[in-house]
Amino acid sequence: MTGPILALRGVSKSFPQGGLLDRLLGRDSRLVALDDVSLDVMRGDVVGVVGESGSGKSTLASLAVGLARPTLGDVLLDGQSMAELMRDHAGLWRRRVQMVFQDSSSALNPRKSVDRCLGETLALRGVPRAGRESEIAELLTLVGLGPEIGPRLPHELSGGQRQRIGLARALAMKPEVLIADEPVSALDVSLQAQVINLLSRLTRELGLTLLFISHDLALVRTLCSRIVVMRKGAIVEQGACLDVLDRPQHPYTQTLIAAVPKGLAGRRKTWPAPSAVAPETREDIHGAA
Amino acid sequence: MSPALLSVEGLRVGFRSADGGIVEAVRGVDFSVAPGEAVGIVGESGSGKSLSMLAVMRLLGAPARVTGGRVVFDGEDLVAADEKRMRALRGRDIAMVFQDPQSSLNPALTIGRQITDVVRAHRDVSATEARRIAAESLERVGIRDAGKRLASYPHEFSGGMRQRALIAMAIACRPRLLIADEPTTALDVTVQAQIVDLIAELRRELGLAVVFISHNLQLVAEIVDRVVVMYGGKVVEDGPVEAIERGPRHPYTGLLKACVPSLSGPVGPLTAIEGAPPRLGRLPAGCPFSPRCPDAIETCAREMPALIAEAGHRTACWRPR
Ligand SMILES: Nc1ncnc2c1ncn2[C@@H]1O[C@H](COP(=O)(O)OP(=O)(O)O)[C@@H](O)[C@H]1O
Ligand SMILES: Nc1ncnc2c1ncn2[C@@H]1O[C@H](COP(=O)(O)OP(=O)(O)O)[C@@H](O)[C@H]1O
Ligand code: SF4
Ligand SMILES: [Mg+2]
Ligand SMILES: [Mg+2]
Repeated sequence: MTGPILALRGVSKSFPQGGLLDRLLGRDSRLVALDDVSLDVMRGDVVGVVGESGSGKSTLASLAVGLARPTLGDVLLDGQSMAELMRDHAGLWRRRVQMVFQDSSSALNPRKSVDRCLGETLALRGVPRAGRESEIAELLTLVGLGPEIGPRLPHELSGGQRQRIGLARALAMKPEVLIADEPVSALDVSLQAQVINLLSRLTRELGLTLLFISHDLALVRTLCSRIVVMRKGAIVEQGACLDVLDRPQHPYTQTLIAAVPKGLAGRRKTWPAPSAVAPETREDIHGAA
Repeated sequence: MSPALLSVEGLRVGFRSADGGIVEAVRGVDFSVAPGEAVGIVGESGSGKSLSMLAVMRLLGAPARVTGGRVVFDGEDLVAADEKRMRALRGRDIAMVFQDPQSSLNPALTIGRQITDVVRAHRDVSATEARRIAAESLERVGIRDAGKRLASYPHEFSGGMRQRALIAMAIACRPRLLIADEPTTALDVTVQAQIVDLIAELRRELGLAVVFISHNLQLVAEIVDRVVVMYGGKVVEDGPVEAIERGPRHPYTGLLKACVPSLSGPVGPLTAIEGAPPRLGRLPAGCPFSPRCPDAIETCAREMPALIAEAGHRTACWRPR
């Protein structure tokens, strides 16, 4: 029996709030972005993290990739504490846990071609120059792109292509855990479907562990085996994805599910009662036509 | 059928390109909206939804301009109307709300001031009366303590409240047509559901006609009577929402529906539309969807299919489903 590949143990993260004056006057207040969060992610799990904006999803992601440190508690990678690992082997953590962002255009250097961007990442992993070209071609194939993309600059790519390059760059490090923070939120539905299918294939083929952050419950249902529902910095419900979505226990999860657009089936039979204010008619205002 | 409130006829919008030619982004769009009707316009980004409606409002900024067609509102051609006439119509008869409520509000002015400015531009009322109307509009869109909230600045409102405030501004003069361009795209799903309900409720109470633009067919289908599907600057399908939901005729509409997963039913790989939406100036001579269409035949890329009506349902496809 092996332990979780990624674990959060009683993790809180807060940020200083208010201006300098407030702090000088001792009116020190802190915004609690994550409040005592514990989470075990097993190897090969595909975990969806959902919740409204501000619920702490991105904060959780930045802790998991080691871009931020918890205020309280600890993050463990394969049983090793972040506090220790970061002191001695920061590079190792960064290689084993990789991240894909929502807006790949700001995450990619606008002046570097795809080939160069991937090449530099491979160099970081210690791949000798001679081996890079073939590995770049493999990475591009892996994310469903052809070699003709190689010489292009980020602005010469479509949104969906840029998102795939962000993914290829993360995969170039051969990570064990991939954190994807709203990776398809900025894409059209047709491209969303392409990227979701790609992520699904990659987790299966590479045995990747994936933390998929999204506000789209239907996408999470398609891709993930587990789901974590966050609200105001806390996990309010978690479990097997289909169980939670079919039989949500927490009222907040029920609210999120009710808000998903459902087409004709979602038409409200009776619209909410008109408000108390008597409507003035157009004729009252502008006179009869 | 009642005469249309808005009738867009052969509308074309183009840009002057670097080499001096004209690149068209809206290439002969036809559709109409009856009084009190709610019409959804759906399609991937770049299909020309926003440009078409900005052209209706005569709000196109340079270098975009109308290169052909007519926009008839209540019998009057807006393409030919002068700017003075448009200023009178905008806000009073036709109002528009946009995706990003932040950038549609002036950060330096209170919410109350911005609504009263619109009211006083169109109605001959005192300042006190304008404030009363502004407070009433805010209350109607579900903002509590509306009287006090008039003194708030946009940054003091959440994203959802800002969108409500913009809707309040839009309905303050009781327009006949409300154009909402992706009004919920920047909002959380829970807030999105509230805003959609609000628009449906206002429509019923005020007898508003609504044009609701979105890339999400599922969302649009919750509140509209009819769906217009755009692709590559053209209308490819236009039909009653029930027909579009049950059996879309255009392959693009079918795929657009299929690639959005639902919260019920079996879980499996998603239907994806391969390739990417077309780029301007690189459109085939024939059907704009032909490079991505699984049903395409040889004729498709060469010849443009006409938008053909059959029992109130229009489709532009050589091989409708
Ligand atoms: N670097 C930061 N400094 C101050 N506050 C922050 C910072 N990062 C996040 N927050 C705050 O923490 C809360 C959670 O944010 P976030 O993790 O980004 O939520 P989500 O990704 O779910 O939208 C929010 O209130 C946000 O404003
Ligand atoms: N100012 C502009 N200059 C050049 N191209 C533009 C400009 N504005 C929009 N476009 C192009 O026109 C096309 C249609 O745009 P738009 O109407 O905004 O699409 P939609 O609202 O359907 O996403 C897009 O390809 C877009 O890139
Ligand atoms: S005209 Fe041809 S290419 Fe276009 S949608 Fe119909 S079948 Fe597909
Ligand atoms: Mg976030
Ligand atoms: Mg648009």
